[in-house]
Amino acid sequence: MSTVLGQSGKETAPPSRWWRTLALLWLAVLMAVAVHQWHFWRQGRLGTDVMALLPQDERAPDVAQVTGQLSEQFARQLVVMLGAEDWNQTRVAAQAFHRHVLAGEFPLREAEMASTAAMHSALEFYRPWQQALLTHAQRENLMRSSDEQLVQRALQGLYQPGIQARLGDWASDPLELWPQWWSERAAQSRARPRDGALWLQADGMQWQVLTYELPDSAFRLSGEPRLQTALHGALEQARQRVPHLRWLVAGVPLHAEAAAVRAHKEINTIGWGSLAGVLLLAWGAFRSMRPVLLVVLSLLVGCSVALSVAAWCFGQLHMLTLVFGASLVGVAVDYGMHYFAARQGSPHVPPHQLMRTLMPVLGMALTTSSLAYFSLGMAAFPGLRQMALLSVVGLAAAMMTVMCWFPWLDAGRGPQQSRLAERIGRSLDFWPRWRHAGKGTVAVCALLALALWGSGAVRVQDDVRLLQNADAQLLAQQLQVARLMGLPSPAQFYLVRGASEEEVLQREERLTDRLQPLIAQGHISGYSAVSDWVPSAQRQTQQLALVQRVQETVLAGVNAHLDESLAPVVSRPPQVLTVGEWIHQPVAAVARALWLGESQGVFRSVVTLRGIDGTQALPALEKAAQGLDGVAWVDKPAEISSLLRRYRVSMTGLLVLGHALVLLALCGRFGREAWRAWMPAALASVLVVVIMALCNMPWQLFNVLALMLLLGVGVDYGIFLLAYKGEPHAWLAVVMGAVSTWLSFGLLGLSETPALKAFGSTLMLGLPMVLILAPLYRVQTTGKLQVN
Amino acid sequence: MTPRLMRLMHSLLAFILGLSIGAQALPVRGEQQAAAQLPASSQQARGLLQAVHARLDKAPVVKGKFEQLKTVQGFKRPLRSTGVFVVARSKGIAWQVQQPFASTLIVTPDSLQSRDADGALSTQMNASDEPALRTVNAMLFAVMSADVEQLQAMFEVSGQIQGQEWALHLTPKDALLAGWLGSIDVQGQAFVRRVVLQEVRGDRSEIRLLDAAGSAELSPADAALFAVK
Repeated sequence: MSTVLGQSGKETAPPSRWWRTLALLWLAVLMAVAVHQWHFWRQGRLGTDVMALLPQDERAPDVAQVTGQLSEQFARQLVVMLGAEDWNQTRVAAQAFHRHVLAGEFPLREAEMASTAAMHSALEFYRPWQQALLTHAQRENLMRSSDEQLVQRALQGLYQPGIQARLGDWASDPLELWPQWWSERAAQSRARPRDGALWLQADGMQWQVLTYELPDSAFRLSGEPRLQTALHGALEQARQRVPHLRWLVAGVPLHAEAAAVRAHKEINTIGWGSLAGVLLLAWGAFRSMRPVLLVVLSLLVGCSVALSVAAWCFGQLHMLTLVFGASLVGVAVDYGMHYFAARQGSPHVPPHQLMRTLMPVLGMALTTSSLAYFSLGMAAFPGLRQMALLSVVGLAAAMMTVMCWFPWLDAGRGPQQSRLAERIGRSLDFWPRWRHAGKGTVAVCALLALALWGSGAVRVQDDVRLLQNADAQLLAQQLQVARLMGLPSPAQFYLVRGASEEEVLQREERLTDRLQPLIAQGHISGYSAVSDWVPSAQRQTQQLALVQRVQETVLAGVNAHLDESLAPVVSRPPQVLTVGEWIHQPVAAVARALWLGESQGVFRSVVTLRGIDGTQALPALEKAAQGLDGVAWVDKPAEISSLLRRYRVSMTGLLVLGHALVLLALCGRFGREAWRAWMPAALASVLVVVIMALCNMPWQLFNVLALMLLLGVGVDYGIFLLAYKGEPHAWLAVVMGAVSTWLSFGLLGLSETPALKAFGSTLMLGLPMVLILAPLYRVQTTGKLQVN
Repeated sequence: MTPRLMRLMHSLLAFILGLSIGAQALPVRGEQQAAAQLPASSQQARGLLQAVHARLDKAPVVKGKFEQLKTVQGFKRPLRSTGVFVVARSKGIAWQVQQPFASTLIVTPDSLQSRDADGALSTQMNASDEPALRTVNAMLFAVMSADVEQLQAMFEVSGQIQGQEWALHLTPKDALLAGWLGSIDVQGQAFVRRVVLQEVRGDRSEIRLLDAAGSAELSPADAALFAVK
């Protein structure tokens, strides 16, 4: 250390207090980060919901809130269905399964199930309002039928073979309205209680439905498939009893776990893969341990600081952010590589002095990369913002480490010369130059753009599937469970708003009246709404009057026909049934989630749909909400697709603007030669679009965003070449940086998340092109210039 | 939830009365395997059901008259009705009430329909909407094929056999069902002759089947009953 000081002292100002303070300050920052990191990994709270990465639709903030509330309710639920041909076998298997699950290491709780007692309490709760409750069909039927028809129907019931299923005295409900009302409520699910279990028959199989909840403490995603292991262990036990047992499992926790497991795998592949590549490169080029270790140090610091700052800013980090963040390794390595390449090139310049000369160029490179990453954040996708911040902070921290520490830790002895480094550096001499690069590029770009536009070869895709990274097998099981159990669609629903509870209920009823014909036409098999359980006060009053009039008529008729003297039972409800009263009842469990309550003076509820008959049913469903005050049709996939489309278009505009701005910024630094740094990235971008169109690969938002990054990173190569006038050490740094970046994004291209894959593959194509093109645009300063 | 299940007891009754439907068509499933697992009382029940099964007429179509006496709480007099019934294997059962108020009740494996005297539909229920309907039907097919496992899933079975005469006493196992339906008694020889349904609440229905006769196929008029959608 002293030699360094002494040496540098001779030539320039000694590594001043300024350098020393900077290094110490940076150390203090890193210690804080280390503490934060320790807490962060101990808590291990990482998000896995892909939808959380999507922007809130600024046109409908309510919808985002509702979707959040709905998904929150299912975040910990797990449904297991076990099926055998024989119900007894199913029971035996389910008992074994259940016992094993509860006894297992993974803490699962049995979810509450409707019991006989609950059934009774539900009946008793509703009894005072019995005569105020009617189904849509009943109300229509009662209003349409003549008195004589109603009397006849009551008599038929009495005289038909068998006994009637009644829930009270015959005289209190001669037309059996009350059991039918309950029947329709029961249609919320296809599963029925049987022998103290939930039973479902479908496809010739007798299924038992088991529902579990994950306690909060269990919901730490470690990257190990603990839940799957626990469930499969229990299944194994059950299969020992019943070998041909079929099983289906559904629930958000499974998807979350699968996503976490995959993300862990991808983070490891990308992170360790890039790191290994970087180490090999550094060793090959510098032939000594110190540069290798220091480069690794800069990466480690960069990644830790990035994680801490991002976690601190966003509260919770998403798994996919980390997957993307792992590619940072390949980008952040550039600064360290540059430093050591420069050291290798001029071994006698003291480290701090060298650093001073490097700083403007490194700063410029950091600025363009950061701008590119920041522009990703402009897309307003929370996930992209996380990724952008993570990347910018990571790059800056790596750069800070290089700047503050490398000159100190380098200990005076630069990296050794190596033949590999020399060869790479010298390779630039053999690289041709493009004589009319400027005009030529413009012509080529114009031609290609025209061809693309004319042929329409770009296959645009704004599909929501881009974001789906769900395990195909889990998804298939989920769909099957939803089909068997008649579960509502989570993707399409109606959102109902009103100034009061009553207004919301009335609006719901206006909507559900319109849904009746859609059920009859087979567009949907049913719907769930709070107003089915708690009709509006208006409707309760109407129905009470209707039912009491009808029953009086029917009893009078029956008395006349049969010479009986049955007296009408007139129930006088204490008051109108309200949502507030209903919502705390156990029976409300099935529909409680639909009532979103009041916020900022607006009451909200959701009407969900069951058995939507494919996409062809959607226009009719959308139409049902048209013209109804306070009712909005929500189609999440369509909404997301339109969002992706809007952003693709606006980000393409921004990309063009970004190119213009970068060119402008370069002009400030390099004047009339600025285009030489910019054009390689521009030409490569156009070529990427052409190649992807030729390969018939879909073109979407994430490709556009990747081009943004290509601009930010690609321009750096031009900058280095331009700034150092083709010095071998600069070219060496560019090549090593490009190879490591290319490796990282190439590995990101292996991701199973379509969006990240698109990102990775675009850069994997684009980066080598920029690298190959950049030297073509060198300024002609050597003797060859004259010769030419 | 059970009210719907309760309502389906219409179809349960209907099938009990049509005991010979599918008697030959359905195999006795899993007999050996089940015998080892079931307790003694279950084995007795199996023997009983097999004995009943052996005594039943195997004709694909059975027609006859019926007479019902129903006691309903709150009514001074029992309610008496008469009519005709027809049972067709794999098709279902049609009850045509003739006195005192005409109506038709048709129960098929997939649906339950009630029609006014003038043929207008007054009640319709489909198995696709109510999965329990199909299962109740399947269970009653199980009665006919003496499928002990199926039947015993829902009922405790006891009874006697005397010569060609037999009697079964069924009580629901399921707590929800048992809260409403007390018991079902069925008596008969080659055909069912009498069914008594006893509700917990006190209501009771006794149905007598008269002049039952088997035939090879449905008459066109009867076939039309089942054809109506």
